[in-house]
This record gives sequence, structure tokens and C-alpha cells, in this order.
Amino acid sequence: MKKLLTSLMLLLGLAAPALAADEPVSLVQDTSQKALDILKKENGKNTRQVREQVESMVIPLIDFTRMTALAVGKDWRAANPTQQEQLATQFKTLLVRTYSSTMVRFKTAQIDVKPTAQFNNSGREAVVKSEVTIPGSADKKNVSIDYTLYKGSQGWKIFNVSVEGASLVTVYRTQFGEEIRKNGIDGLIKQLKDKNEGVKPA
Amino acid sequence: MKQHIPVLLASSILLTACASNPSHPQDPLEPMNRVIFQFNDKADHYVMKPAAEGYRFITPQPVRTSVGNFFNNLQDVYSMLNHGLQLEPRKTLTDLLRVSFNSTFGIFGLIDIATPMGLPREPATLGDTMAHYGWKNSNYLVLPLFGPSTIRDGLGTAANLTIADQNDLVFRTESDATAAAVLNGISRREKLLGMEDTLQQAALDPYSYMRDAYLQYRNRQVGFQPSSQPQDNSPQEDNIDDLVGPEAEAPAASQPVATAPGNAEASAAQ
Repeated sequence: MKKLLTSLMLLLGLAAPALAADEPVSLVQDTSQKALDILKKENGKNTRQVREQVESMVIPLIDFTRMTALAVGKDWRAANPTQQEQLATQFKTLLVRTYSSTMVRFKTAQIDVKPTAQFNNSGREAVVKSEVTIPGSADKKNVSIDYTLYKGSQGWKIFNVSVEGASLVTVYRTQFGEEIRKNGIDGLIKQLKDKNEGVKPA
Repeated sequence: MKQHIPVLLASSILLTACASNPSHPQDPLEPMNRVIFQFNDKADHYVMKPAAEGYRFITPQPVRTSVGNFFNNLQDVYSMLNHGLQLEPRKTLTDLLRVSFNSTFGIFGLIDIATPMGLPREPATLGDTMAHYGWKNSNYLVLPLFGPSTIRDGLGTAANLTIADQNDLVFRTESDATAAAVLNGISRREKLLGMEDTLQQAALDPYSYMRDAYLQYRNRQVGFQPSSQPQDNSPQEDNIDDLVGPEAEAPAASQPVATAPGNAEASAAQ
């Protein structure tokens, strides 16, 4: 009996680091903390330098190809590799620009990353949950933000983000699908490109 | 003005006939919704947003917080009734205590002292109650002035406005209640100032972006999982692997940042 227990303990002890259960959690935790520290230090200045600092930290942790595939849905298969690459590039530009210009709003935010991730897909996919509080706002309500990560050859990367259950990625699926139905995949690439290039300086 | 809103709501709900081949399974009313969306967009641009900006300009933050608290306190009365209808004794009691403390020690609800006391605010509407008793799948409906909703939640809102408007609880005359409703609307809009830019920046089609985000949010809130569409990327869903091979992420990950610096600068300089 004792032997069994010991071997069980050993097994668990060996299995735990092998699964590296906390890796996605610490990734999200560390990155969000560092990003907040930058925003806080710069005291909400929305300069190019601040944005670049945060972007250079966050962007490498995001798998934009996978993210774009998720946004496009089943039509992704119909796109050839060049089209896929163009789609991913344009989608990335759109997302980066949208969110980097709004991020200073979160300079006072407090992020509580939940210590346990939910693993799916035989341990290759992880959902990390977090609660964000923004003390300055009138509603002192917590906002739940979930990150979905995937373990690829370059380690864990984020490919989906949900705010209160609404995915910032799949929210594009209908829009993309409509455009692909009307003008094909190249039509969507063109539309994204036009949007990215057509934003007038404020 | 005030009596007209329920009529508008009711008529928009009753206009539920048309539309074929919806682009979203929960939006068979898309043509009508788009028209109301356009109307709201114009109304927002010319009336609501300027009013909210003016309100932000002339009032300091503590005043705006108090105004928000005041209306939240009135809404908490409805949350209490709805939690009661849902047979949620603990939440009903929490709401009762919230309203009691905030209406007395919190000076008519101007200060939210209940939240720091450990009584969290959890709004519940008539729509939530109907969802609680089984009406989870409800089609998208854009309400005039109120914005994104569903048939179910729109009916709840209309019922509230016609039968027991929250402002009638405290305001004796019709004109006072109307003024309060307008202030409430401006106060809510003020909290969202700046969001419209993000929507314009993020969306290819603001209508469908707003709809899809709202429906994902609301469906999760009421616990409805659309079966036909794997849109919500529930953790169980792993069909993404059919689309992308396990190693497919390598090429894009090594690409340089594609942001046009000039654009990023400009869009953030607002």
C-alpha cells in the first residue's frame, strides 16, 4: 500500500512539471502585468513610443495565423497559402491598430488572473481566465476576460480573447463570410487592406 | 415623449414578419434592425453623443458617479423583484439590503455604500427572468434609442416602461420622470464615450460587429448555446485544428510587425 502511494506520488510529481500546468497562466499574468506597468509608468501618455513598447511585448505572444483562421472559419480552407498570409497580415494590422489606440484607458486597471487554466484538446489548448477591474470608472464592475492559448512549436501563444463571453475574434466571422460570399477571398483581403490604409489621420 | 417610447418599442417588436435568408441565425429581422441601427447612429451622432459630451464637460466625476449610483439604485429595486421571481432568495436579499442601505445611509442612492460592504450589484431584468424560465434563444432586435437587444429583452423593457417605469417610483410628476429618464440616458451614454470610435475602427460592418458581439455576450449571460454555429469558440471546440495544422503558426509569427506607424500614430492622437 505504502509502495503504491509512493509510486503514485512520484507519478504525480513527475507528471506535474511535464504538463507545465501553470505555463499559460504565468504567460498571461506576466505579460499583462508588464504591459500595465508600462502604461502606469507613462501615466496614460498615448505616444508612439509607449504603444511600441507594449506592442513589442504582446505581439510575439499572439498567433495571428491561427487567430485569423478562427475568425474566417470554414472559408480558411479555400484560401491558398499566399492568401492566408495576406489575410493574417491585414487582420493583425487591423487588430493591433484598434486595440493599441484604446489601451491607455486601462492604465489603472487591476488584473486578477485565475491561477488555474482549463486545458482542452489533450493539453495543447488552454483557457486562462481573468477578471479586470477599472477603479476609476463609475461602475465598479469586474469584466471577465478569457484568453485561449495553443501550444505550438514556439510554445504557448494566444489565439483568442473573449470579453464577457464575446470573442474579439469570432465577432468578425459573419463580416468576413459576407465579403467572401460576395467578392471571394481576394475581395476580403482588399477590403481589409482598404480599411487599414484608409483610416484618416485624426 | 415618454409615452411614445413603449409604443415605438411595441411596434418594432410587432413588425416581426419579413426577412429571408438571414446572415445570422438569430437575426431574421436584419433589414428592419439595420434601419433602426442607422436611425440610432444618427440620433447618437447628433443628439446623444453631444449631450453626453456636454454633460461630461459641465459635471465633475463625483457628480456623475452619484447620478449613476442614483439610477442604479432604482434599477436595483427591479433586480430585487426579478431575483424574487426567479426564486433566488440570496440574491433577492442582497438586492433588498443594497436598496435599504443605499437609499438611507447612501442618501437616496447617491452613494453606493452597499458594494464596499460586500453586497455586490447584480442587475436582473425582466428579460433575464424570462430567460431563467426557459426563453433562452431570442432573436436580435435593435430598439430605437436603446440599441442592441433581443425580442425577449425588448418585451421586458417595454413592459417596464409601460407598467412600472423606474422613475415613477420617486418622481411624482410626469415631467420630472421624463427629465429623469433623459438624464439617465445621458449618464449611461457618457460612460460609453469613446467607444464609438473603437467600433468604427474595428469593424468592417459596424452593424454586424455590434450584433455578433452583443449576441455572444447576451447568449452567454443567459446560458444559451447556439448549436448550429460554433461561433462562440467554446473551449470544447477543437475544429480549429482542421483549419490550421499544428505547426502552421510558424511563418506569421516570425513576420515583422505590419502596423503602419503613421496610421497608428494618427489613430491614437485623437
